[in-house]
Amino acid sequence: MRIGFLMLRYPPTRMSNILPEVVRLLSEWGAKVDVIYPEEQLVDLSKVRVEHDLYILKAKTELALSLAGVLHAAGAAFLNPYPVSMTLHDKIMTFHVLQAAGLPTPETYVASHPDQLTPLLDEGPLVVKPYNGSDGKGVRVVWDADELHDAPSNQEPLFAQRYYEPQGRDRKIYCIGGQIFGVKRVWPARTYEQKLGEPFTITPELHNISLRCGRAFGIDLYGLDIIENNGKSYVVDVSSFPGFKGVPDAALRLADYIYSAGQRVLNGEPLLPSQEKEVEA
Amino acid sequence: MKAVVIGPGRVGCGFAGQLLHASGYEVVFVSRNETLVKHFNQVGRYRVRLAEARRSQEILVTGIRAIWAGEPDRVAGAIAEADLVATAVGAQSLPEIAPLIAAGLAQRRQPTNVLAFENLIDVAPYLFGLIMLTPDSSSLAQHGLSGALVSRAVTQRIGDPAKDEPLLFVGDPPATFVVDGLGLRPPLPKIDGMSITENYPAMVLHKLYTFSAGHATTAYLGALKGYHYIHSAIRDAEIRAAALAAMREGQRGLAACYGPELAGDQSELQQIVARFENAALNDPIARVCRDPRRKLGADERLVGAARLAEEAGILPHKLALAAAAALCFSNPSDPSAAKLRREIETMGPEQTLRRVSGLDPDRGVGKLVAHDLGRLSSGQCRGNLLLSLEKLIWSWTA
Repeated sequence: MRIGFLMLRYPPTRMSNILPEVVRLLSEWGAKVDVIYPEEQLVDLSKVRVEHDLYILKAKTELALSLAGVLHAAGAAFLNPYPVSMTLHDKIMTFHVLQAAGLPTPETYVASHPDQLTPLLDEGPLVVKPYNGSDGKGVRVVWDADELHDAPSNQEPLFAQRYYEPQGRDRKIYCIGGQIFGVKRVWPARTYEQKLGEPFTITPELHNISLRCGRAFGIDLYGLDIIENNGKSYVVDVSSFPGFKGVPDAALRLADYIYSAGQRVLNGEPLLPSQEKEVEA
Repeated sequence: MKAVVIGPGRVGCGFAGQLLHASGYEVVFVSRNETLVKHFNQVGRYRVRLAEARRSQEILVTGIRAIWAGEPDRVAGAIAEADLVATAVGAQSLPEIAPLIAAGLAQRRQPTNVLAFENLIDVAPYLFGLIMLTPDSSSLAQHGLSGALVSRAVTQRIGDPAKDEPLLFVGDPPATFVVDGLGLRPPLPKIDGMSITENYPAMVLHKLYTFSAGHATTAYLGALKGYHYIHSAIRDAEIRAAALAAMREGQRGLAACYGPELAGDQSELQQIVARFENAALNDPIARVCRDPRRKLGADERLVGAARLAEEAGILPHKLALAAAAALCFSNPSDPSAAKLRREIETMGPEQTLRRVSGLDPDRGVGKLVAHDLGRLSSGQCRGNLLLSLEKLIWSWTA
C-alpha cells in the first residue's frame, strides 16, 4: 500500500504529534508512506504521476490544492476528495452547500465592499472571515462600521455571518470514517492544552447535524465548528482533514481508518463506504 | 501419499494443505463450492503468504485437485484411497460432512486417521458421534480420529475463484500443530510440524483460554471502540492492558487446574500480543468477532476461561468485561450476532446470559458479566463508540 500525504511542514514548535504518529503507524503496518511538501520542491508538471494508491490532502495552500487537482485529474484516489477540498476551501461555497442541505448556520452574507455590510450591523454584530481562510486566522467580530473598514483591503470577497455569542465553550466535532467525536474548547484557544480541550458526549441533535454535514459534502473525514446560542446549535465552519486535537487516540484511529481506506482502494472497492443512512433531516 | 482435506478455506488451504503438501502428500480438497472446485482443478495450485511486519515468505502449493461435495461417491472413493483425511470446515459444518467421511471410511480395508483442524473443544468425540449417527459407521472403530490444534492464524483469502489466478492465503508463520495421541491409529501420519500429545484437551484449553481469549478480548473491545483491525485495537493502551489481563486470568485458571507449565507465563502473553500487532495479517475486527453466540459458550474462550479462573479463586474482571463486550456486539450481517441481539431484546440480558453462557447473573462470573453489561448498555446506542473503557465516555448519546 502506497500512501502520499500532501503536507505543509510544521514548525518545530508545533506540539501536536498526531500526523507524525499517523505516518509512523502506517509505516509500521507495512504501508509505504511518502510525505510530500509541495512548497519545498520544484515541480515539473510534465512529470507529475499518480504514484500512490491513496493520497491525503492535508496542506491547503494554493500550490498544494493545485497539485492535488493535477493528481485528481490523473485519476488519483484522495481520501479527502479534491473537489470537496476545493469547496471547503471556499466558505462561500461551503455555506451554500450547508444551507442547501438545511443545516443550521448563522445568517451568511457575501459582499465586495464593507459599506454593503454596514446596514446589517443595525441588527447586531457580525463575524467577518477571510472567505478562503482556515484555523481561525483573520476572523474578527465587528460591532460597528468603523471596525468594518479596519479590515485590510485586498479585493477579496467579504464573508460575514451574524455573530452569536458562544454560550459555553466551542464545540469541535470531528468525523473519522463516519465515527463522530466531540471536543469542548475555549475560544480562542491559545495554549496547546486549550486546543486539546476536553472530549464530550455528543447530543443526538449534534450527532444528526454532524452526519448530515458529511452527507452534504459526500465525505467521512472532516471537522465541524459548532456554536451554541440560546439552545440552538449553528455550524460555523467545516474543514477537510482538520487537526483532530483532543480526539482520544486520534492518531491510532486515523491510521486505522486510512489503512482501511487504502485496503478498499487495493481491493477495487469504493473509497468511501456507505454512510449512515438513517439521518433525519 | 494422498491426503483428502475437506474444507479448502483459510485453515484448510493456508495451514493443513500447505503442511501436507510440504510433507509429500498429494492433496485433494473437498468443497461444496463448485466454483472453487473448478478453480482448483483448472489452476492446480495456490499460494500461502506467511507474513510478518516487514518480511513475508510465499509458498506455492502445487499439484492439488478438488472434488465437489455434491458428488458423495467420488468423495468416498477419494477417502477410501487416502492415507490421511483432514477436515477444516468450521464446527457448524461438521454434521454436513460426517456422512461423507463415514461413507469413505466404510470402503477402506486399511485403517487411516482423520484429523479435525477445527477450533472446537472435544472435536473428536463430537465428530465421532456424528459419524456414528450415519448408516456407514460400522468400520469407524478401526480408524483414528483426532483434533488438530492449529498454531497459525490464517486471516485472509485473496483472489477470485472465478478467475485463473492462483488464490492467495495470508497467515502468520507458526507452522506447528498438536494432535491427540490417544485418538490416532497406526500407522501414524508423518506431517511437518505435527507433534503428538497425550494431554490434548488441556492443550486445547491452553490455546483457547490464552490466545483465543486475548484475541476475542481485543476484538470485542476493539469493536466497542470503533477500530477496524486487530493490529490497531491492540495498540490502544486500554485494550492492550485488558487483553493481557484477560489472558493472564486465563493462565491463572489453567495453572490451578493443569499446572504452571501448561499455563505458560508472561513472556508467552507478550509473544501473543506481538502476533496480534502483526499488521501484515490485516485481520479485521469483524472477522474475529464473528459468531459471538458460539464464542460466549460456557466452555468457550471467554466464559470458559472466566469460570476456570473463578474455580481457582480469581475474580476474572477482564474476561467478564470482554464477555459483556461480546454481548454488546452488533453486526446485522452475522446471523449469530443478529440472533444474540434478538435474544437480548426479547428475553433480556440476564436470561440471555443464562441461555447462551450458562451463567447465573446473580452469582460469580455471571454477576461480573451482568454488571459490566449493565455499565456498557447504559451508554451504548446504535453505532456509537466507547472512547474510554476506564471512564466509560461514549462518543454520542441517543
